Amino acid sequence: MRVEEAVLPGVGRKYTISVRSGDRIVVVVHHSGGRELQYYEKGELEEPVATLDLTDEEARELGAILAGVLFAPEAVGDTRTKLAAESLEWVRIEPGSPAVRQQIGDFATSGVHTLAVLRGGEALLPNPAPETVLQAGDTLVVAGSREAVERFVQKVRA
Amino acid sequence: MIHPSVEAFALAAVLLALGAALVHRLRFPPLPAYLLVGLALGERLDIETLEPLPSLGLLLLLFSVGLEFGPDRLGQLSQRVLRAGAWDALALPLGAGLGLATGLDWRGALLLGGILYVSSSAVIVKLILDLRRASSPESEMTLGVLVFEDLVVAFLLVLLGGGSGMGLLGGMGLAFAYWMAARWLGPRLSRGIEGFSNELVLLAGAALVSGSASLFHSIGASEGVGAFLCGMVAAGLGLRERLEHLFGPVRDLGVALFFLTVGAQALGLIQGAGGLAVGLAVIGLLAKLPLNLWGAKEAGLNPKRQRYAAIYLLPRGEFNLVLGTLALHQGYLLVAQVAVILVLVSIPLGSVLMRYAPEWFGKLRSSAGGSPRRV
Repeated sequence: MRVEEAVLPGVGRKYTISVRSGDRIVVVVHHSGGRELQYYEKGELEEPVATLDLTDEEARELGAILAGVLFAPEAVGDTRTKLAAESLEWVRIEPGSPAVRQQIGDFATSGVHTLAVLRGGEALLPNPAPETVLQAGDTLVVAGSREAVERFVQKVRA
Repeated sequence: MIHPSVEAFALAAVLLALGAALVHRLRFPPLPAYLLVGLALGERLDIETLEPLPSLGLLLLLFSVGLEFGPDRLGQLSQRVLRAGAWDALALPLGAGLGLATGLDWRGALLLGGILYVSSSAVIVKLILDLRRASSPESEMTLGVLVFEDLVVAFLLVLLGGGSGMGLLGGMGLAFAYWMAARWLGPRLSRGIEGFSNELVLLAGAALVSGSASLFHSIGASEGVGAFLCGMVAAGLGLRERLEHLFGPVRDLGVALFFLTVGAQALGLIQGAGGLAVGLAVIGLLAKLPLNLWGAKEAGLNPKRQRYAAIYLLPRGEFNLVLGTLALHQGYLLVAQVAVILVLVSIPLGSVLMRYAPEWFGKLRSSAGGSPRRV
């Protein structure tokens, strides 16, 4: 697989991904958070066969499914079907959030599992300990019932 | 008791919204509509009561251009794009030569050259986003060329903005100080700033932009270049994404009002414009087409994309108006008229051409494409 990256000033970044079959995918990550995907068949340089627009949230979920990490059943110690009934949420710790430089344990909410911490430039941190100190820019992957996750998000963003 | 500016704002907002709604139905970008609404209203629009929103709109626009099109971007561009930028830059000496030939002195000629040369990053980015062309190869080249243009013109503005003597020295000194701040101070402070709340970043950013503009103005330099350099400093502080996000909606509102006032003031300015001003504007629009076609060819685009790229670079906007205002203050009425005519014509024309380019040139098969298209 070959990936070419280009900066589009004012727009975002463009990744051109060529896979083994010869097909290509062009991904534009917009500053607004949206993603634009275009699929080109082998040998076709001009017109994409398909295009797809994703919101930031959709793109993250799709990315997690493609990466195959976050939907592993042992991550919540429960079954796949159970997980499907619950809500998975990617919660970004914005600079200025009360959670910055605090331990994950301080924001424990009943019914919410923190599955992983995504930190730019570092490997995924699965099943983080309650003592893990959060940084601005971290993204937490949490699972739980919708209401519980909602409560958790409120705490972290307050 | 309601302040008169609120009523003026309400009227302007309604008209702008109507214009935007109309062109939206035609699947058309809204910027030309703002200009045309302004043109239609003309003198009846009381611009003074709308202030300071239009002025702030222009400053925030230049700020975000500096944020996105700063010198650090140059290093991220490919050689091919830089070559296209160099071809494009030939329009500057060409325009200046044209100015000298029409009897302007060197200062007026350079202002004219800048006005004929620089395309509008803000307008073109907006058109590319609105028309969903971000992923095409010609957009990459176009945006890279715009980085090149904006830096050249910022430099030109520092040179020409400050009149002479002290103003010029002061402007150059300040610009150098800002550049150093972006380069050396930024990376050192960026970690501390990361913890600031959004509100603080928004207010500090607003203070920085308007403060810099006033500072540059007070020493006799161009306030536009102050806002541009300010954006460069903010990018150095690692605030690019956050500020883009925080300022986006405020800027868009201000920019809509700014283009409205440009349209409204345009008639008064170009009423006395003769054939010479119109001719220069037309030459400016046409002269860049072959340069950009060559540049796009050098950048490795196929013939169809070369035409697209040349069309994309048509719209003129913020920097042309900044240069035009400067020319007006320095007594070059002709140059200011050329700037206004260029902006008025090139934004609607560029939008139409960009919108319909695929339908007109779509049938051209690329020589690089190779295999026939599957149906």
